[in-house]
Amino acid sequence: MTDPHVVGAGMIDFGELYEQSFDDLLESAYLSLIENVDKGVDPSDIDAAWYGTIDIANEGSSGSAVAHATGLFETPITRVENACATGSDAFRNAAQAVKAGDAEVALVIGAEKMTDSTEGLIASAALERLWRGRGVTMPAYFGMRATRHLEEYETTREQIAEISVKNHENGTKYPHAHQQFECSVEDVKESPTVSYPLNLYDCCPVTDGASAVLVTSEDRAREFTDDPIRVAGYGLASDTFQRGAPEALTNFPATRQASSQAYERAGLGPEDVDVAEVHDCFSITELITYEDLGFCEEGKGGQFVEEGRPHLDGDKPVNPSGGLLSKGHPIGATGVAQIAEIFEQLRGEAGAVQVDEPEVGLQHNIGIGRNATGAVSCVNVLERP
Amino acid sequence: MSGPRYERTRRQDQHLIGFECQACGWVSFPEEKRTCKRCGDAPAEMTEVQLQERGEIQTFVVQQYLPDDIETPQPVAIVDLPQAGEGEPARAYGLLTETDLEEIDVGTEVVARFRELFSDGERPINSFKFSVPREEKA
Repeated sequence: MTDPHVVGAGMIDFGELYEQSFDDLLESAYLSLIENVDKGVDPSDIDAAWYGTIDIANEGSSGSAVAHATGLFETPITRVENACATGSDAFRNAAQAVKAGDAEVALVIGAEKMTDSTEGLIASAALERLWRGRGVTMPAYFGMRATRHLEEYETTREQIAEISVKNHENGTKYPHAHQQFECSVEDVKESPTVSYPLNLYDCCPVTDGASAVLVTSEDRAREFTDDPIRVAGYGLASDTFQRGAPEALTNFPATRQASSQAYERAGLGPEDVDVAEVHDCFSITELITYEDLGFCEEGKGGQFVEEGRPHLDGDKPVNPSGGLLSKGHPIGATGVAQIAEIFEQLRGEAGAVQVDEPEVGLQHNIGIGRNATGAVSCVNVLERP
Repeated sequence: MSGPRYERTRRQDQHLIGFECQACGWVSFPEEKRTCKRCGDAPAEMTEVQLQERGEIQTFVVQQYLPDDIETPQPVAIVDLPQAGEGEPARAYGLLTETDLEEIDVGTEVVARFRELFSDGERPINSFKFSVPREEKA
């Protein structure tokens, strides 16, 4: 067994990329990676690939789509789909294969063409399933946690809004972010209601994007860079509120389980994390995630943000990239992009959003599947070796 | 030829029937299951139980943006439906109907109303929505 290492990352500017096809997104992310590996990579070195997409554009985008976009036709390419944890789970699969010694140089690529679909995720809310969340869209699913969190704890509407303010401010400093504007707590509170209690600025935008990273064995890492980043741990778990646990009404037990697995593998705890990219598909999601990852106590996520701790200059910076709220959430690309951002942070290459000399970085996604009745979380922990 | 998928749980949908795990007490609704989602017992001994028509809102949202065939604003909740006898409640999504938005909160008691949920093009598909009990309305 060997420790997997990230040795390169590529990313395209996220946005409404009407001029680019789904295949174009993949090609651009792949080329961005190839061009960014410090000592270069020959495509023939790549011996396996994992591709994250939920194929929202409905193009039948299997592993062979990556072969078409990259030319890697003789290479095994596996498509991974795991709701909004798709990209992070694709990365986890690659890390596992490298750890096992079955792959030595693995490509992880995530992409989503969100704007070609006129229906997107909202149509799935209208499926003819009487008790499976008919009418429960993504903002509704997460909004229900906000309603209950506001009721059960001392959480305020302003604290929830502050997360959007923080992430939009970070996003203006991050070149790949889709929505480059700042907003105030009042702006968030006064933006149109999407699904009470969540408003427009509590929600991430609809965004096209793609990202890619290269994962290698420890032995081969220095062929590609003098500054590799070790994959210290990973975890994956599911949950549903239907199991009856009270904490599943306010929080995500799946995140708690996935992060426990990742911390245990890494031999690290939440106190060791210096920077995190977490799943802020909605403002409330990030607030809950502070608690579920153990950054603060249960019910104290609002206080955590009010004290400025997850801000760029705080002691536990969360989403320096602007998060999904600002950067956008091209589903299959999201987790891979977060890995790319943590890689940059740990190498001190994050430019205007660089945090102070981080040693340990955490990446997190929470996804909703099964017609809004199930949740799946993936957590990856990276570390300077 | 396959039938529409909502036919599979028609009896439970129309009669509020759940299935209780005899190992841990968890209640499945509406799917009749042979494994338990909470304790993982497999095969699980599941006993049919009758659910009450009165339940309690655990949390809710009010939807403003939905496909055209669904009315907005649309309040939707997670509702606990107690058993007619002893035991744990079932926890399920419920659409709210005939209820003012101001009447809804965490902990509000609601009653199941047999209503049309949607039409399959030829006939209405009926099941339960929930509303604040009429006698308690101001």
